[in-house]
Amino acid sequence: MLGELRGAVRVSPDDAGDRLKLAQGLYRIGDLDAALDECRIAIKLEPESAAAHLQLGVTLMAKQDGRAAAAALMDAILLDPALTQAHYSLGSVQYSLGNLSAAIQSYRRALELQPHFPDARYRLALVLKLTNRHQEAARFMEEAAVGGIPQAQFFTGNAYRNGQGVEKNPALAIRWWTMALEFGHQRAAESLSQLRRQALSPEQPERRRKEALEAFRRYREALWNHYPDAAGHDPGDSLGIALLNNSESSNGVTALFHEAFALSEPAHEELARLYESGLDSRLAQFDTRILTCFETTAADGFIPAKKALARIYGKGLGVTVDMRKAKAMLKGLPKRETTAILDEIVGR
Amino acid sequence: MLDAARLWRQFLGSSRLQASVMGLFATWLAFGFQAAAPATFAALDWSAYDVWLSYRAPIPVSPSLIIVTRDPASDAEFGTGPWDRAILARLLTSAHEAGALAIGLDHRLDHASPAQRGGAASDALLLEALGTASPVVIVQSADATLASDASIASHLSVAPHSDHVARTVPAASTDDTQAAPAFGVALYEAFQKQGSPIQPSLSPTGNGSLLVNYAGNGTIASFPTVPVSALWSAIEQHENDRLAEWFRGKVVVLLPNQLTEGNWLLPTGQTVASQVIHLHVLNMLLTDNRLCQTGATGRLLVTLVVASMVGWLLLRFRGTISLFLAGTAIATYGLLLLLALAAIHLVLPLALPLTAAAFVLAGTIIWSHLTAHQRLMLAEQNMLRVQQEAAAVREALVLRETRTESLQEDLAAARAAITQSTGQQEALTGAAEALRAQLAEAQAQEEEARGKLERLEQQLHSLRAATSEPAAVGDVELDRLRDECRQLGIVTRDTGLLRLYRDLKKGAKSPLTVLLLGEPGTGKELFARAVHRLSPRTGRTFIAVNMAAISPELFESELFGHTKGSFTGATADRRGYFELANHGTIFLDEIGDLRLDHQSKLLRVLQEKSFYRVGATMPTTVDVRIVAATNRDLQRGVSEGWFREDLYFRLTGLVFRLPPLRERTGDVPLLADIFLTEIAGQMGKPVPQLSNEALRSLVDHEWKGNVRELRHCLEQAIALNDGPLLSKESLRLGSGSALTAGRAKQSQMLPEPAGDAAVLNCLRQHGFDMQATAKTLGWDRSTVTQRLKGLCFQALVESNGDLAKAALAIAGDPGHLRTVELKLMDYHSHLLSVIEPFKTADEAISDCKRRFKNLPDRHFASVEALVRQHFHQV
Repeated sequence: MLGELRGAVRVSPDDAGDRLKLAQGLYRIGDLDAALDECRIAIKLEPESAAAHLQLGVTLMAKQDGRAAAAALMDAILLDPALTQAHYSLGSVQYSLGNLSAAIQSYRRALELQPHFPDARYRLALVLKLTNRHQEAARFMEEAAVGGIPQAQFFTGNAYRNGQGVEKNPALAIRWWTMALEFGHQRAAESLSQLRRQALSPEQPERRRKEALEAFRRYREALWNHYPDAAGHDPGDSLGIALLNNSESSNGVTALFHEAFALSEPAHEELARLYESGLDSRLAQFDTRILTCFETTAADGFIPAKKALARIYGKGLGVTVDMRKAKAMLKGLPKRETTAILDEIVGR
Repeated sequence: MLDAARLWRQFLGSSRLQASVMGLFATWLAFGFQAAAPATFAALDWSAYDVWLSYRAPIPVSPSLIIVTRDPASDAEFGTGPWDRAILARLLTSAHEAGALAIGLDHRLDHASPAQRGGAASDALLLEALGTASPVVIVQSADATLASDASIASHLSVAPHSDHVARTVPAASTDDTQAAPAFGVALYEAFQKQGSPIQPSLSPTGNGSLLVNYAGNGTIASFPTVPVSALWSAIEQHENDRLAEWFRGKVVVLLPNQLTEGNWLLPTGQTVASQVIHLHVLNMLLTDNRLCQTGATGRLLVTLVVASMVGWLLLRFRGTISLFLAGTAIATYGLLLLLALAAIHLVLPLALPLTAAAFVLAGTIIWSHLTAHQRLMLAEQNMLRVQQEAAAVREALVLRETRTESLQEDLAAARAAITQSTGQQEALTGAAEALRAQLAEAQAQEEEARGKLERLEQQLHSLRAATSEPAAVGDVELDRLRDECRQLGIVTRDTGLLRLYRDLKKGAKSPLTVLLLGEPGTGKELFARAVHRLSPRTGRTFIAVNMAAISPELFESELFGHTKGSFTGATADRRGYFELANHGTIFLDEIGDLRLDHQSKLLRVLQEKSFYRVGATMPTTVDVRIVAATNRDLQRGVSEGWFREDLYFRLTGLVFRLPPLRERTGDVPLLADIFLTEIAGQMGKPVPQLSNEALRSLVDHEWKGNVRELRHCLEQAIALNDGPLLSKESLRLGSGSALTAGRAKQSQMLPEPAGDAAVLNCLRQHGFDMQATAKTLGWDRSTVTQRLKGLCFQALVESNGDLAKAALAIAGDPGHLRTVELKLMDYHSHLLSVIEPFKTADEAISDCKRRFKNLPDRHFASVEALVRQHFHQV
């Protein structure tokens, strides 16, 4: 690929377009100095090329030369005021230079030019948040979250938890964190884990525990709203089980996981059952996703998960038998329950 | 109007005032030196604190303090440069969740994170964490890019002293528009608020600076630390128990920066970063081991007090003892300094007080040398003043005594009247009562005056002791003085006279007028010449003028000179004594015999240093040192009006009273020896020897004419004696000798106690103090009074009514003249008042017989003579 670009440049050394393409190629592989040289030649050949100036700016940004990058990007914007990417990049450069209001302005301009630009929205929201304009920040952040930016989802979750710029709503926080977690956002997982600990840890004050438990309950309740077709339910019913019963196995499994992470006992029980049995093509027997889910909630102190894990390790379901781990899982539980589970394991 | 001389006298008299001024001056000098060499002074001033810090028992480290520091493992994980703020955010959140009460974070929000370190997202995370983990104390930065309302801004400044040692931390930063507290202080306050939310937080200091009480050797090693790598792994592993064990209920300080920047030198000799110094501030506040330091005013006051104290001790107690006491005072201050440090943790200044004390020491020595002479003069003046007061009180006493006597007489008369006329008894009783009351009052007044006199005499005695104390001349010096005197023709071994000579020698160097007092023959001219010889004018003329010998008509011409033709016989210009003595010394002998008009002329010369020759139109100006002498009591002259007061004060620049020979009988053998050699040499005779008896009689003789009389006596003896030995008889001392010998032992063997001569002698001995005389004689006081009264009347008759002559006859010693004169005048006026109402001498005499019935009969003849004389004159 790069060879072709070099060949093209060699064939027509005075073609600014080829030079720019080579510069972009070099930038991609991280040869920033060579990319800079090519950009400068391209600009020399075609001083009116906004794209060349933009590339120069972006490359300088990568080289952490903020001021030169800002100058190059401004040149690009002068040549083509509608160059969204240049505004976006300029915003980032301005931020790193500590010029927060200029950064906000650049991001806004980029959004005006291209309203569907979730990343610009997320960046704008961040800078607004850092300038303590929380309401506006929360609005942009939620829009970016809806646009599918996991970081935005995480920060939106944080905003709902802290009531920063929005009305405090831990249930919504759980929802956004769960969404971020689906994209593999680790901090969201930590936040969720922390909230679960708040709900389950005996050391927490009763008020905080109740608040967290209520948040999870409301989150589970809200899950039903996504499936208007699912029949009316009693409080405490599992959406996942209901969907499985309605033969919506795909949605049902997703819902079961959401509910399990949100501390639903029926969902845990159902998943424990499904772990042993498997569910056609949706869930294999001894599915590791279920095991991971149990490990996570058990680590946060969720007793049904601990019991399930004790059984899994005690019986060696999909894992090698590890009685020590099984007993460790049961530590702290009432003696009667512990004995019952151990009996069940041994009785195999 | 301020009297400068009086103020100066008071200043010289008060060692406290001098010490204060000297202390003030020394303090000012010490502060000046401090400004010139601040580093040296700072090092010295704080040396006690530095040493104390190194050798005292170390202060404990607060169990509530935990510090999280970077370690090589964390550097390997997160990089060696600045870290992503997301990491800090996580550390903060974890510490807060683990139960930390207050968190300090060594981080500034002065820049936006670059994209490589998480960019805006990490910044947002940190700000969120700052909000969640509140209270968090961060480091203030002048141009903060990011703003966190939830965190507490603080500063990490250190205020090193001039010797570049970091001992203090400013309580609040002042370089920014918004004052931020010190990191350690802010964290302590946040911790206090969390720990006890009900109590209002007590600011550990106001403004100014905090003196740091370092724990251990002042490095970070003194504190419990947790490495970031261990903390991070605990967070990752969800090891909540471990986190809680580290952080629950504690003040957590996160130090995510390398502790290399800032090289502050500590008093313990270590070099640390400013963060560590602030950690020590925090620990000091947490363990309540605060130190106090004296502010600028405090240092000034302490220095002033120490300097003044040392100055006072040096001025109050002179000599070695004063140096010892001053040293003790300085040592005591040193001890106090150590005690204050150990007991109440107060650091007092050291260098300034010591420097000021050194200045005071030097200053006091110089000052004492400069003012020694003036102080002596002051003491002498004080003595003179007290003497004058004593004289005045003595006069008052005489008056009161006399009044008592006359009242007693009136009472007796009244009693007599009572016995004579019983009809008038009641009225007379009333009068008697009134008189008795008056008598009691007068007696009380007399007692009071007597007490006052005693006190004054005591004061005078102590003053004499004070003046003679610094002049406690050693034997070696006495010998030297004696030799010096000998060279000037003054022959004496008498310590008092030698001291007088020493003072005279000192005074001679000044241009002050000298007044020499003394009986005839005490050597006034000799001393006058000595003044001249010892003064800077010694190479110039010395003119001696006997004022009594100048004829009144020629007074002006003799003293001031005349121009040709100014009067008959003035055939040429003539220069007067004053002109002749120009640039030299003029000795005005017998100044007390000067007529009043001549006194005023002399006064003008003394005042203006210029005069008109007789017949001249232009004044002549001279520069003459005046030495005057007299054997008369000039003070009495002033009070009696025959001597001008202003001239008296002009003359009394330096006053020396030459003692009579009888007060220095130790000199008699010495003088006799010298005179014998001299006289024999002059007469061409072999030098005769004095027999022991003769020598004793010479020593015992009263020598009214003093040395002159002694010389004449010896001249006469040598002229009339042919043998090699002078016996007592050949001296021809006459009856005076017997009288003097008797006088010496009068109190033991009174020849005839009732004799008038004996009573008079006794009175003279006691300075005409009736009570003392009465006590010595074992008589009633009124008896003594009656005898004196009789003697006075007799003397008056003998002197034909001349009061002064009569008084002199009674007084014997000129020192008692004034007292006797007063008594005499009073007796006389009483007598006159008694006889006043009568027409004829006989009537008056018959009343006097009644009035003066206690008067001895032999003296009543005198009364009679006086009465007759009075009526005869009328």
